[in-house]
Amino acid sequence: MSPTVNLSTGERRPLLRPGTSEVAPTADDIVLSTQHVSFFYGDVQALSDISLDVHRQEITALIGPSGCGKTTFLRCLNRLNDMVPRTRLEGQVLFDGEDLYAKSVRPIDIRRRIGMVFQRANPFPKSIYENVAIAPRANGQRGNLDDLVEESLRRAALWDEVKDKLKSSAFDLSGGQQQRLCIARAIAVEPEVLLMDEPASALDPVATQAIEDLMQDLKRDYTIVIVTHNMQQAARTSDRTAFFTVDQRPEGRVGVLVEYDDTNTIFTNPKDPRTEDYVTGRFG
Amino acid sequence: MGIWRRLRNVGFWTLCGLAALAIAAPALWVLYTVFHQSLPVIGWRLLTHNTNAGGLKNAILGTLWLLFGVLVLAGIVGVGSGIYLAEFAPRGIGQVARFFSDVLAGMPSIVLGYVAYITLVVQAGWGYSYLAGVIALSVLVLPYIVKTTEVALRQVPTALREGAAGLGMTERIILWKIVLPPALPGIMSGVIVALAISTGELAPLLFTVGFTDNNPSLALTHQQVPYLTSVIFTNLQLPDPQAQYLSAAAGAMSLLLLVILILIGRLITARSVKATRRMAL
Ligand SMILES: Nc1ncnc2c1ncn2[C@@H]1O[C@H](COP(=O)(O)OP(=O)(O)OP(=O)(O)O)[C@@H](O)[C@H]1O
Ligand SMILES: [Mg+2]
Repeated sequence: MSPTVNLSTGERRPLLRPGTSEVAPTADDIVLSTQHVSFFYGDVQALSDISLDVHRQEITALIGPSGCGKTTFLRCLNRLNDMVPRTRLEGQVLFDGEDLYAKSVRPIDIRRRIGMVFQRANPFPKSIYENVAIAPRANGQRGNLDDLVEESLRRAALWDEVKDKLKSSAFDLSGGQQQRLCIARAIAVEPEVLLMDEPASALDPVATQAIEDLMQDLKRDYTIVIVTHNMQQAARTSDRTAFFTVDQRPEGRVGVLVEYDDTNTIFTNPKDPRTEDYVTGRFG
Repeated sequence: MGIWRRLRNVGFWTLCGLAALAIAAPALWVLYTVFHQSLPVIGWRLLTHNTNAGGLKNAILGTLWLLFGVLVLAGIVGVGSGIYLAEFAPRGIGQVARFFSDVLAGMPSIVLGYVAYITLVVQAGWGYSYLAGVIALSVLVLPYIVKTTEVALRQVPTALREGAAGLGMTERIILWKIVLPPALPGIMSGVIVALAISTGELAPLLFTVGFTDNNPSLALTHQQVPYLTSVIFTNLQLPDPQAQYLSAAAGAMSLLLLVILILIGRLITARSVKATRRMAL
């Protein structure tokens, strides 16, 4: 089908094809689609043949044992792995139907539209306010950003804790608060897709709940891909779940996608015994 | 058993004391000699009169003026190259540049002075001049600035760059807003060390700037420049004891400048240590 969004301009084309009254087929529901993606760090293969569709306005959870390539896969989706020297991607990633890795596509345009929250909190060595405001300002937003900063911090369930010390350093926050600051920072840019790498691993139950509420809230406008080690969290929050694992091969350990389905199916009626072992806790 | 332990303790602390003394002694020896020798001429006159009238005013001004030139020239070129090497240079170019930088770092300063004399003073026809001196000194200290800049930039955690890139910031903005600020203290202490080295250099200047009893002029070429290390060197060879005292006073003044630079550097690193410690948390 024809793409609905021009990647280089960000301009949305009408969903209706000229000359027909027919709405473009359901493939439009797919925001991101990886097709036979393999990924290599130097000569070491980290991912093998991953094909997976991320649906619009859904939460897609990636689960699997440590080292199976969840983070690597997530970083393929916004071209962050471009920054790691001597890496290589095979296969295709489609974003709104267009090749994400085409020569004409600039990674920074992609990353503004596909945001990321990292596994380890990485706030900038600046004030809390600056952490949230810096990217919108750098990306060209002028004027007073107070409202945007407050709104982003509220949505990340951090506002009440920091509203009286917006000017103090982000490093003065606790680990969990830093992680929520990174979430606020990411949503301040208003991306279309949010990639979240274990955003709740350092959070207490209250903050975790707040983040899960945020995800449900964001889902109305955005698409979310989340990596989590927490089975309950995946089951509670996500619409679809992908189970990755490590495949022992003669040439080394490689991450593979075992099963991808509705979250309900993955957790209650998985097709692959490896998935069942993992979700029921008999593995890893 | 108590006695052996106590003896070992005493021995240990004695050794520690001796080691500390071994480090402090040379510095104290130099300081004592220089200040003692310059005692007869120490006074405000040093700051108010020129070298032909028992003071050092022109030499102090000339040294500061040369340091300013090095700060501008070596600072801009050195920090610029360091940024290029750390952030943009392809591996091959980086390795070649680093090799030449190492060669330069080990270059005897007198060879550099000679080369500057032949090419700038004679061939370019600038005569003994400010510009020739600043260029010679800048080439001398460039490797330090390049190296410290590069190291300071590489120490900025990848997670910060990736965090910024993940928000769609451009490379240029990431460099200016995210990477440079935490690297700045490291870069500045490299520049300070470069200035400290420049303060004490004589060889490259002997060949390039000459000397004058007048105050330094703003002319870039064809005007000789007075500076402190020259006074140390020349005045010691004069028969007049007053002139010899002035030589020591010039040494004391150089040391004073050095101490000030070291203190500034200390201040900057102390701050940066505090900042990095917080970054690690
Ligand atoms: N920058 C890198 N260079 C080389 N190898 C890497 C790099 N990053 C990850 N790897 C390797 O790729 C494999 C997958 O790592 P990845 O971080 O994607 O796993 P993960 O599923 O996110 O694990 P975890 O659950 O522990 O976060 C691992 O074997 C890891 O050692
Ligand atoms: Mg990971």
